[in-house]
Amino acid sequence: MKKMMDPRIFHKLFQLNWGIISLIFLISAIGWGLLISAGGGNAHIWAFKQMMRFGVGLGIMLVIALTDLRWWLRFSYIFYGLSFLLLCAVEVMGFIGMGAQRWIDLYILQLQPSELMKIALIMALARYFHSQSQPIPLSKLTPPLLLVLIPTFLVLKQPDLGTAMVLLMSGGALFFLAGVSLWTFGAALVVAGASVPLLWTFLHDYQKQRVFMFFDPSQDAHGAGYHITQSKIALGSGGFWGKGYMQGTQAYLNFVPEKQTDFIFTLLCEEWGFLGGSVLILLYSLLIFLCSRVALTSQNDFGRYVASGITMTFFLYMFINIAMVMGLLPVVGIPLPLVSYGGTAMLTLLMGFGFILNVGLHQTHKVPRLSIGIL
Amino acid sequence: MSREENTNFLPRALFVGILQISLVMILFCRMYYLQIFEGSHYHLLAEGNRIFSRPLVPLRGQIYDRNGCVLVENETSFRLLLLVDRKKDIESTLTALEEVISLSAEEKEEILKKVGKKHSIDAIVLKDGLTWEEVSAIELHAADLPGISLEVGARRHYPLLSEGAHVLGYVASPSEKEEEEEPILAIPGLKTGKVGLEKYFDQRLRGTPGYRTFEVNARRKIVRDLSQNESIPGEDIHLTLDGRLQKYASEVLSEYESASAVVLDIQSGEILALVSTPSFDPNLFPLGISHHEWGKLRDNPYVPMTNKVISGLYPPGSTIKMFVALAALEAGIIDKTTTVHCPGYFYVGDHPFHCWKKHGHGFINVSNAISESCDVFFYEIAKRAGIDRLSATFKAVGLGEGGGLEGFPHCKKGLIPTKEWKKDKKNANWTLSDTIMTSIGQGYMQASPLELVVVIARLVGGKKVIPHLEGGENPSFENLEFNPEHLKLIKEAMANTTNSPSGTAFFGRIQQEGKEMGGKTGTSQVRRITLEQRRAGQTKTNHLAWKYREHGIFVGYAPIHNPRYAIAVVVEHGGGPRGAIQAARDILLKAQLLEEENKE
Repeated sequence: MKKMMDPRIFHKLFQLNWGIISLIFLISAIGWGLLISAGGGNAHIWAFKQMMRFGVGLGIMLVIALTDLRWWLRFSYIFYGLSFLLLCAVEVMGFIGMGAQRWIDLYILQLQPSELMKIALIMALARYFHSQSQPIPLSKLTPPLLLVLIPTFLVLKQPDLGTAMVLLMSGGALFFLAGVSLWTFGAALVVAGASVPLLWTFLHDYQKQRVFMFFDPSQDAHGAGYHITQSKIALGSGGFWGKGYMQGTQAYLNFVPEKQTDFIFTLLCEEWGFLGGSVLILLYSLLIFLCSRVALTSQNDFGRYVASGITMTFFLYMFINIAMVMGLLPVVGIPLPLVSYGGTAMLTLLMGFGFILNVGLHQTHKVPRLSIGIL
Repeated sequence: MSREENTNFLPRALFVGILQISLVMILFCRMYYLQIFEGSHYHLLAEGNRIFSRPLVPLRGQIYDRNGCVLVENETSFRLLLLVDRKKDIESTLTALEEVISLSAEEKEEILKKVGKKHSIDAIVLKDGLTWEEVSAIELHAADLPGISLEVGARRHYPLLSEGAHVLGYVASPSEKEEEEEPILAIPGLKTGKVGLEKYFDQRLRGTPGYRTFEVNARRKIVRDLSQNESIPGEDIHLTLDGRLQKYASEVLSEYESASAVVLDIQSGEILALVSTPSFDPNLFPLGISHHEWGKLRDNPYVPMTNKVISGLYPPGSTIKMFVALAALEAGIIDKTTTVHCPGYFYVGDHPFHCWKKHGHGFINVSNAISESCDVFFYEIAKRAGIDRLSATFKAVGLGEGGGLEGFPHCKKGLIPTKEWKKDKKNANWTLSDTIMTSIGQGYMQASPLELVVVIARLVGGKKVIPHLEGGENPSFENLEFNPEHLKLIKEAMANTTNSPSGTAFFGRIQQEGKEMGGKTGTSQVRRITLEQRRAGQTKTNHLAWKYREHGIFVGYAPIHNPRYAIAVVVEHGGGPRGAIQAARDILLKAQLLEEENKE
């Protein structure tokens, strides 16, 4: 792996999966339009900043896409290790700073290590499973289990229930795709079910309240359940055609909290109706389909696992967020991917797509298995 | 290690894919349910409710005098608020409102102007200070008045009425310019200090606004409170003023058309009373003064809106003589035994300058020259000392600095003329005549009553006191850099002015033992007495029209044995110092009596 970059870079650029890139661009552009509307027609409030972040993220995505996949295989544990250290650093700083602290302030951007961890975890698991021979014996499952559970626990302590859920579920999906026997899965589910009461004690009061509220939002219509009730009113009042761009009333009147971040789907549905919401979900589905195809057509296990893991993460973001604003899931802090206002989520997602494009580019490459070891 | 391919990947990936598709289908179903099936229900809910977030006006701090008596307070008052949603229904609401309470054309115009400025939904104050009748009428017709709500607030009240108006100032609604500079002032119902102490301490008195968020229904009635963040009341301020002395001084000065007086504690620099007459009722302002009332105040020839203590600049007249003497003494040009012969006139070239005493004082020393206010003595020593020495001494005691009440609104600085100043402003060389005029406080020289009282307090106390209006710890002041013997000599000469039968203010002395005052009279000419008038034997201006009469000034201190209070009184166009002397006497005596009363 001496050469990180292939010299025939332009040839590679042509081979990129431009379908995926166009969809990313399209979805992000919808996001910018919504952010302008959320800012009351003023692009300076959120939209411009988001566009700039997209530009930076796009650059990172292309760089990642054009590097050699084997290089990433080699460094996946290092990547995981670094992310893990940052996560611990946040934990220590959060302990000092009191309260919820999820990010490290890098001055130009606030780095959220839990976001990096979403990618790093998939890379590390992909490498681990790539190096195992099939069928994987039960005894070989302890290391990857720890790879998943330790960061999940740290993130849960931050407290960031949403990210912890995404880590656990995307990790679980990789276990499943890697061919772990269904019996083992069944047993794990039983254990997980049994440990729910234990996990419950780790949750903060407000998190517990959100779960309660999810089951009965009307109980406290202007307390914790207020957000979700108002979100549903705004969304529902959009009807089929919507109220028109910048014509949404609920969001402007501040009924809907966080209208530019987690609840931006509400704004879309209020202004563009069922039609707008459906178009966005269809675009997401198409993007997920294209990404899944990359995973399926890859001829090496590492590539398959990386692509399917990241696609899974993306799907989870989308599903949890939309289900949340429609009152199908409790309110956990998960942004709408590529659309919600926010820096690190955007960068992480574009990094992730960089890996998917990379896998697509190198789908016929034979990737050697590495022996156990860090490098 | 032999490797077998992961044959499970493809089927399991397909399973995951199917799972994802089903989950997306669930999203579609839910969206369909909310937007199409239940759409009209939610549409109704969305139309019905609005959330208003409204800042809450903080309670303004109260102002107390040195004895803890309230000088500025808040009274409960009712405000009528209108929640503006869409502009179009304002007119109909106002029409409905007019049937319940009376609104003047002026008020209506003001309201429509305010509505025009609001971009989105907000609350505006329709009327402040409602009467009980109006409150009950509105309550009764509440159902017909969409968007209208009553709010209990506080109204500023000034119990001293016109007697404290200048020093305390008043509050009123912020101007558009003020709102632009400080957007927080745009809070409906918030008042801001416009002049006086209300402006001086505005930031501290103001407090921090709170926020109230509430949900209103389609008729803009409040359905429920969502959150309330209480406002933090402003700070109470305790002043050095004595309300009783302030009131008394106002009464004393009300005998004259236009006058001002200020009393200072010589040791601490505390201002005990600060009065300017005629005055105005500050209670007219918080609710908005009518054009008619404002016009009356503005057009009054005695300028009731001006605080003459700090904004009035007058030639100090003979009250400057102590400082001319001080300059000569310090320079070693004279000592306490030096005498000058006063024949009643003094020639500069062939131009005579007169002493107020037609036939002169004869041979006179510095002490008697002060107490008898001999002009020729000061012409002579000023000529010997020169303007540079005089202006340096005036500057050293603190004339021309505005009195040291830093940041107090409308504080004006007096003028110490110098050679450079004249060259610069008048484009002419300084002449001996200018020095002569300056030595008796006429000509270019100007000072405000506040500056005069401060320099007297410094002269008498020997310390560089700085006046202040807020109570609390008193700072210690540096000593003046003058020979204490000289200060003592001048102080005694001032005591003689009022207590020696030959003194110019003997008639106005305080006769109670132990409370005697010292001081110096002054007269500042508004119009020069012409040569013809003088030849006709006319040296006074009493018979002239009011605005051409001389200003009467008196600066003084009391008691003479252990000076505590300094005073400056100006009676505008008093036609001589008589009125000023009497007013100063009464006020200084009252200050001492009040002190005794407090001790008991």
